[in-house]
Amino acid sequence: MTIANHPLPEAAFTELAEGGGSPAAMRRLGEAQRSKHMMLLHAIAEAATGSETGPVAFRAGYEQLARIQETAPGAAAWLLGLPHLGGWLHDTLIHLDQGTAADFGHFACLVAAAAIRAGLAVDLDVPVRDGRVRLPGLGSLLVTSERSWIRLGNDGERVTAGDEFAVEARWLAPDDGAGAPDEGTVAGWSGTPAIRATADGLTWTVLLEVDDPYLDRYTLPMRTAMSAGEVTDWRERVRSAWQIVAGRHRWAAEPMAEVISVIVPLTPQSDTDLVSATTPAAYGAIATSWPPDAVTLAETLVHEFQHVKLCGLLDMVPLACSGDQRVYAPWRQDPRPAGGLLQGIYAHLGIVRFWQAQQHAETDPDGLLRAQVLFARWRPALGQTVQTLLETGSLTPAGVRFAERLGARGQHLMSVPVPAEAARIAAEVALDHRLTWQLRHVATDAADVAALADACRRGESRPGEARTWVQEDVRKVDSGLRSRLLNLRYLEPGRYRTLCADGVLPVSAADRLLLERSSEAALQAYRTRIADSADPQPDAWIGLALALSQLPPSPSQQALVTRLVQLFEVHTRLASRTDPLDLASWFT
Amino acid sequence: MTSQEKDIETVIPDLRDIPVDRLAELGSSALAHSIALYRERLRENGIPLSSFQARI
Repeated sequence: MTIANHPLPEAAFTELAEGGGSPAAMRRLGEAQRSKHMMLLHAIAEAATGSETGPVAFRAGYEQLARIQETAPGAAAWLLGLPHLGGWLHDTLIHLDQGTAADFGHFACLVAAAAIRAGLAVDLDVPVRDGRVRLPGLGSLLVTSERSWIRLGNDGERVTAGDEFAVEARWLAPDDGAGAPDEGTVAGWSGTPAIRATADGLTWTVLLEVDDPYLDRYTLPMRTAMSAGEVTDWRERVRSAWQIVAGRHRWAAEPMAEVISVIVPLTPQSDTDLVSATTPAAYGAIATSWPPDAVTLAETLVHEFQHVKLCGLLDMVPLACSGDQRVYAPWRQDPRPAGGLLQGIYAHLGIVRFWQAQQHAETDPDGLLRAQVLFARWRPALGQTVQTLLETGSLTPAGVRFAERLGARGQHLMSVPVPAEAARIAAEVALDHRLTWQLRHVATDAADVAALADACRRGESRPGEARTWVQEDVRKVDSGLRSRLLNLRYLEPGRYRTLCADGVLPVSAADRLLLERSSEAALQAYRTRIADSADPQPDAWIGLALALSQLPPSPSQQALVTRLVQLFEVHTRLASRTDPLDLASWFT
Repeated sequence: MTSQEKDIETVIPDLRDIPVDRLAELGSSALAHSIALYRERLRENGIPLSSFQARI
């Protein structure tokens, strides 16, 4: 028997590179994921030997899956595409590679879930964890005895677990909130919350996974043990977001309904954090903390769905090589590797397209300003970061083609008009982010800085540039509050206005002047602070550059926004009350 | 054949029509090679996580 690799038509690759994805392209990605899962299952099957209960249960499940493939291919395809299976496969492989105990038996639960869902006969020993038998994608059975394994059977109509549970198979389904028989519950059964959302003739059914340990794999823990009220809130928020996605962002909605089958709610570290994530180990799942409003969730879904598509493509076609080089990404605080930058660009292509359309849907002025600024903020970042990515030299030939297509799509979006006020705010927050990142992560050659300082002291012309390189956390920059306020102006204009009116903003006088756009006064305040301080003032240097950028273009402004790190280091080296604008003039 | 009709070479073996209990018959084939490559990537890079954090 011989095999070929999955075909991927050039047209599907191009579609994906431009941020889209037709049903045919999504089908290609889905089929490849199922093959990937079969491939990893085979690797695990080769290791699942011996007479212990775990490997024995795995092998029984494996044989059962072969029978399901033969008799009910749809049920097998459901299982092989389940994000829960992907999570378990990856964890098991890692355990095998590290020589630690793998949870082989859980596979029997996965196969049992597929059989019960399809009304197929099954008879397997399955593990009991925390007093429950998990049936991934469906829910869990409560087991009252203290046994660690139980015989799970289904004759096609009735499911039994040992001698302590028996119920009609059709009731072992996710909980869609519509109510179950009689009093609304099946004793001992807890269905995974399901959300069915329909808008503009498009239906999306998605599970709210709050229990599966193999999908609790993100930077923040899964939000488990949700109350009925919380589940209801999530259902309503997802349905509201779906109205937006299906109604305004059809290009994303149609493939999303096809691919995304699970939302994993995350527990944020603070109420003001919105965290979302995806992993290539669980294709089809999106994780997010509780979103503050439906528009934010809609944007998060579009954003994370971009990652999911790219993860699927990367499994099929490697686009970037691993390497040590780290570069600037306008959406991150930390320097990023080429692969991470590619993911970020792709996600932001989706974000730009989202806000481009959302501008036409917003009716209140604050919502409109947010949409316009976010569109203007991320649109130029696409082309800039594609260029950075290409310059790393870390892309494969396919990766270069992919990035070039992405860049062309970004370039196309640059022709869309943006109101001047939105463009101004977007440019300012982009500059603040870039300069903050540079002061944090760009190191300079000490000898070069010394030579520049000496030349400046002697009144000579500037002898070239100091060499620089990216290095994580070179300096501490304490300008987070100012940056947050600059962003709050358009993210939550109402809250920003209230804070300003209350006069409670805990910022320096210079920062207050900058936020008020009293640009000349802010410039003088930052200038005095830098010149008078005995210690380096990186945040004041950024403020100085921002204040000067609010004024008409000048050579000093150009020097500050293009050579801020060198200016900062030379000024520190001069260790005297040097006027920062005089030094900026010397750098022109 | 135009460039849009061409297929791109991928690294995932097409197992759509093969039952799991017959995968072993493929022996030391392209399947074993693909598994080795995938596991090598997993060992080298772990499972990359795309995680986005915004202050709201």
